[in-house]
Amino acid sequence: MLKVKAGDLDRMGMLFERYNRQLYGFLFHMTYQRELSEDMVQQVFYKMLKYRHTFTGTGEYIHWMYSIARNVLKDHWRKNKQQVQHEGVEAAETIAGGLVPDEAFEKKQAKAELHRAMEKLSESQREILALSRFQELKCQEIAEILGMTEGTVKVRIHRAMQELKSIYVKMER
Amino acid sequence: MKCELYEELFTGWINKELSAEEKGALEQHISGCDSCRNELQALQQLWGHMGQIETPEPSANMSVKFYAMLDTYKESVKEQRSLWADIKYHISRIWEWQPRWPMAYNLAMVVILVGSGYLFFGKNKSDDQDKQLKALSSQVHELKQTMMLALLENPSASERIRGVSYTSEIKHADKQVIDALLATLNNDPNVNVRLSTLDALTHLAGHAEVREGLIKSIVEQDSPLMQLAIADVMLKLQEKRSVGSFRELLKQKDLDHGVRDKIKQTITQLI
Ligand SMILES: [Zn+2]
Repeated sequence: MLKVKAGDLDRMGMLFERYNRQLYGFLFHMTYQRELSEDMVQQVFYKMLKYRHTFTGTGEYIHWMYSIARNVLKDHWRKNKQQVQHEGVEAAETIAGGLVPDEAFEKKQAKAELHRAMEKLSESQREILALSRFQELKCQEIAEILGMTEGTVKVRIHRAMQELKSIYVKMER
Repeated sequence: MKCELYEELFTGWINKELSAEEKGALEQHISGCDSCRNELQALQQLWGHMGQIETPEPSANMSVKFYAMLDTYKESVKEQRSLWADIKYHISRIWEWQPRWPMAYNLAMVVILVGSGYLFFGKNKSDDQDKQLKALSSQVHELKQTMMLALLENPSASERIRGVSYTSEIKHADKQVIDALLATLNNDPNVNVRLSTLDALTHLAGHAEVREGLIKSIVEQDSPLMQLAIADVMLKLQEKRSVGSFRELLKQKDLDHGVRDKIKQTITQLI
């Protein structure tokens, strides 16, 4: 994989170009705050730069990036105990019945509703869904990032999905 | 099979990671289990809806900030490197000093080594560490000796005297040191150096070679100061074997009158 270890600082620019959107996406789905997510991307890359010699090169570079991002998030939550604040999502109208049909979901309100449901998940549930759904990582990769077995990852994704569904359905009532 | 056992497969189903075999097993189960079929359908729909939630693009500002940070970082690394280069330059300069003060430098190095050795091993000495310390102190000894010998070759009389004075720090003078001192005693053009050497050799009079050398040196000395000093040393050492050499000296016609009297007196005292 790509190595930044050998003091090749220009490589860091390459890695930024390659991963900044993906990392930003992950952080956005974890915080739902654009500016904060951008600041965190900066923090993650700074830490990777500063601690590049600690990257052993045994695992994938991207897993290292996620583990640093998770630490940045943990730090943020420790300092800011309040709930995630969502920006720019309007309160959705209540839609009767179970899950909204696909056509209805196309409407802004339904999307906002799901967005809000996701905010209500625990951090670890939101994290595992962010990695699997929004980052589109395979369960095997998520297992490496989170330090779990693949089976555990699959079960946790399933539980998080069930929880999300339950929150979503309740919100609609 | 219980429904919970299919949890893992549910995830694989919705994110399309199932093998054909796993897919077949799950399909078989949901064909006979309504609740699982409905659940799977609902989750798959939710998964699909989640995919429609847009992830915003980062602003151009993020990239600008990153490259500014990278540049700053590169600068700071450059500074660290040049500081290191500076240190290396000074270290190389230390080596350049070596030809000028070879012994002093080596001695300083060994003193540092021994000093740090004591600091390092001082609290908890083992036999092995003791051996290391002994090896180090023997190195110090060797270096002092080398330093002394080198100083005796120095064109400056005061440096040669300094060299001679090092012998007081050498516990066990070997033949090399004694020979060098005796050569200085007999051949050094400066009387003060020879006097200092005589003094140093007197302290080493326990060595038979030193005594013999001193006795032989009596006839070599042409300076009255040295002749008087040697007479005193022989008296002090009660070296009866020196009488023969003194009698030889008395045969020299140009011998100083004061020295002649002193030598005669010494002979009488020794016999
Ligand atoms: Zn079932």
